[in-house]
Amino acid sequence: MVSYLKEYFDFRACLICIALVIIGLMSIYSATFDINNAANFHRQALWAGIGFLVMMITAFIPLRTVQRLSFAFYFSTLAVLAIILVVGSTVKGSKSWFGVGGIGGQPSEFAKIATVLAFASYLSKTDVSISQVKHLFIALCIFAVPMFLILAEPDLGTTIVFFATLLPLLYWAGVSSFILIAILVPILVAVGALFGTAQFLGAAILGGILLYLFRENRFAVAVAFGIALAVGLSVQILYEHMHVYQQKRITTFLNPEADPLGAGYNIVQSKIAIGSGGFVGKGFLKGTQTQLNYIPEQWTDFIFCVQGEEFGFLGASFVLSLFAALSLHGLRIATISKNKFGSLSAIGMTGILTTHTVINTGMAMGMMPVVGLPLPFMSYGGSALIANMTMVGLLMNFYANRKEY
Amino acid sequence: MMNVEEIGAPSRKRVLISIIIVSFTFLLLRLYQLQLLYHTEFGKKSDENSVRTIIKEPVRGYMFDRNGRLMVDVGPAYSINLIPALFDTSTLSFLSSLLQMEPSVVQERLNRGRIYSRFSPVRIRRDVDFKTLAAVEENLYLLPGVSYEMESKRLYPFHVRAPHLLGYCKEITDAQLAKVGGAYQQGDIIGSSGLEASYETFLRGEKGFEFISVNSKGQLLGPLDGGRRDIPSKEGFDLNLSVDFGLQTLAESLMTNYRGALVAIDPNDGGVLALVSKPDFEPSVFSGVTSVEVWNQLNNDPEKLLFNRATMTRYPPGSTFKMVIAAAALQEGIIDEHYRIRCNGAFRFGNKIFKDMHVHGSVDVVEAIQRSCDVFFYQLVLKIGLDKLNEYSRRFGFGQLTYVDIGEETAGLIPSTEYYNRVYGKGKWTQGYIVSLGIGQGEVGVSPLQMARYAAWLANGGTLLQPHAVNSVRNKRTNKLDVIDYKETSVGIDSSVMRLIREGMRRVVEMPGGTGGAARIRGIQSGGKTGTAQNPHGRDHAWYIGFAPFDHPKIAIAVMLENAGMGGAIAAPIAGKVMQRYIFGEVPVNATSRTRTASLNDTTLYH
Repeated sequence: MVSYLKEYFDFRACLICIALVIIGLMSIYSATFDINNAANFHRQALWAGIGFLVMMITAFIPLRTVQRLSFAFYFSTLAVLAIILVVGSTVKGSKSWFGVGGIGGQPSEFAKIATVLAFASYLSKTDVSISQVKHLFIALCIFAVPMFLILAEPDLGTTIVFFATLLPLLYWAGVSSFILIAILVPILVAVGALFGTAQFLGAAILGGILLYLFRENRFAVAVAFGIALAVGLSVQILYEHMHVYQQKRITTFLNPEADPLGAGYNIVQSKIAIGSGGFVGKGFLKGTQTQLNYIPEQWTDFIFCVQGEEFGFLGASFVLSLFAALSLHGLRIATISKNKFGSLSAIGMTGILTTHTVINTGMAMGMMPVVGLPLPFMSYGGSALIANMTMVGLLMNFYANRKEY
Repeated sequence: MMNVEEIGAPSRKRVLISIIIVSFTFLLLRLYQLQLLYHTEFGKKSDENSVRTIIKEPVRGYMFDRNGRLMVDVGPAYSINLIPALFDTSTLSFLSSLLQMEPSVVQERLNRGRIYSRFSPVRIRRDVDFKTLAAVEENLYLLPGVSYEMESKRLYPFHVRAPHLLGYCKEITDAQLAKVGGAYQQGDIIGSSGLEASYETFLRGEKGFEFISVNSKGQLLGPLDGGRRDIPSKEGFDLNLSVDFGLQTLAESLMTNYRGALVAIDPNDGGVLALVSKPDFEPSVFSGVTSVEVWNQLNNDPEKLLFNRATMTRYPPGSTFKMVIAAAALQEGIIDEHYRIRCNGAFRFGNKIFKDMHVHGSVDVVEAIQRSCDVFFYQLVLKIGLDKLNEYSRRFGFGQLTYVDIGEETAGLIPSTEYYNRVYGKGKWTQGYIVSLGIGQGEVGVSPLQMARYAAWLANGGTLLQPHAVNSVRNKRTNKLDVIDYKETSVGIDSSVMRLIREGMRRVVEMPGGTGGAARIRGIQSGGKTGTAQNPHGRDHAWYIGFAPFDHPKIAIAVMLENAGMGGAIAAPIAGKVMQRYIFGEVPVNATSRTRTASLNDTTLYH
């Protein structure tokens, strides 16, 4: 019985997910119990219950059904994304919220899943090969459409997640290194251009070397390099024509600690919270930064500080280890999955979760710009929690069906 | 067309695994760095964040006169404070108008406070009046981050002035803060002159701290750990002065219309009984806030109101210096009591004539002091020579600091061979230069305090005392009285010499032909010496030094009045009245104004 269960039930993904959800609930309780009588905690606990059900259902839906439904899922999320751009309510300066009669959610959370599934579904068709430019173009469009819809909300964080998920997917699907480099180099050069001319030139030179090293033919290298230079130059020109306040917003984004009273405030307080936790932490419900609400809405994007402050290095490194284990496990499912759809989807799910985790915790520790991405399973928010647990359910599904072709 | 690998190629799997491992390793290293390497630093910041430290200013120590009368008091004062993190800068101009301050000044104080801590209150204005306090209190709900606090400030009982002696406290300057640092902060009060400065460490007490938990909005959540960690402020220690309040008041009133100084010392222990420097200012000017205008006015006054003439000026002592010459000559055996000279009203040295006021005829050393014969001392100083003169002057406390506890003082100037060599060049000055030193003129400079100390050792028979205004300190923790020890040295003059000199000084006051008759005190004998110091800038400076009663002196005094005329006519009567008041104590303290008119009348009598 146990061996049968082990064969078809992914205990590891399920247990890691449950552990993270429980630690997340504890953290939300700690951050909010004195503010609104833990209303956030109760709501999140309810969503966790729903999420668990969704996860279990997802884990046991036949894989074929998932694959067949993926395009329907994809197009319906596209439709919702388009609708909210027109009629959606603005929350924190971004139109990402969709609500009908008091029940609302962030469709972009599910759009990520739908896009990955659609991408995987498309590429797993027998007559589709990524080696053909036409098919590659369609695959890229599957990603590009929701990405631009979300960027228009505007939700920079989720756009970055889309991009960061696309790259490993292409890589896993077998796209040549040159194409990946050709996609990466313009971004590298553009970021360099934001920092200054010297950095722009440095990035361009580095990009040129990379392109040359992975070259397939000289013409393609020249075209890709030309595009990169054009992107970098236009970023520079654009930057110089910006208002001072817009430039400041960008520099603050890149280096928030330069503005400790404004954008950098959260980062500074977050680092204080984590740093002051020390090795064993201040104890559950005893973190002063957390209990005295030094970090605005800590229960959303800065939930990692609670663990850092109250559970210390022991707790926070345990949480990071759980995430790392989940990422490696996702990669393993992709490796052992014998069908293309499951394998690619697993890479996509892993990419989404890993990107969220690395960017969020990196931001909380002052290593990354503040981009407003929730920490999977932990940050307060129903859509994200249910979406994340759905992804774990899908991973469990791919695990169970790993031997199917 | 393109090189395509099969899905999930093992090499690509390894690359992805590496990316995951490297990413999480970076995160863990960062976590290690923040939580283990920089833990102390962040822990401190976290404590500062969540705990508001409210500083409780200690109550400054009191000062009592020698009879236990309160001279320096403390009373309540209200300060307006601001917490930078909570302050709404759009209310800045409103707050400034309530406080009647320039918005730029408020802004500057706010900015400076913010450097220390965004969550600690910054004092914006000290010692506001009740009208301002009421206006701020009524509008507190419109002024987030603004609060008021009760502190203490200096109060002075009626009639107390003595600003140069007592000194004043002022808000600490950046320069002082850089020097003393530590226990002080921006906006703190610090003793800046006189006893307030000298005894700052005793007077100021220790700050207390109250720790209050706050949230990020600055809302107070109550005392940290139920107030168990609070540290109460500790009161400053009280000073018991040697000063006689009544005597000080009288001396001040007698000096009112003069520029100069008066120092009275107890010749038995060196305790300062009264110390006056005129013109002066009300010490209460500094008790609360001292506006820039008031400070500039005081500081730039051509009369130099803040300047303590009793300890910091260098005047030629005039004839009061003659006992130095006499004591040196007698002690060295250059002359004896039988030595006489004939004074014909002038002294010729080389081709230069040094004049005397009168033709004194044949005089010995006692008569020369009694009648202030200049010729006697012109020739005597030449017999002693510059080196001996310098040696004895220094032995008598001139040309060096007295180490008084009142604050800054001058060492004065006693010329020496090296001094003349430096100023005029070696071989370019002659013995003629030192003739006028015999009558305390020329390049000799003494402070009135040094002169009072000089009068005191002449009174007590040769003990040089360390003048001081504080006898003991009341330790408020142990409630014990710490009596301060002061230095005493012997001037090394034989009693036979002392007897002759004192006899000369007695005759100055008590005998016909003495120059100090105006200092006579009815009922007792006293000793003294007048001096009239010429100065190139105007009328003569009037000097008088003296002591009383003659046999068992209780008070020694030096009076110096700038550009006032003859010492015997102007300075002597003031000294006489002060000594009389101290010995008999009959002049009522609360009748200062009456005393003043009376004194003016008396002065005319003595002319």
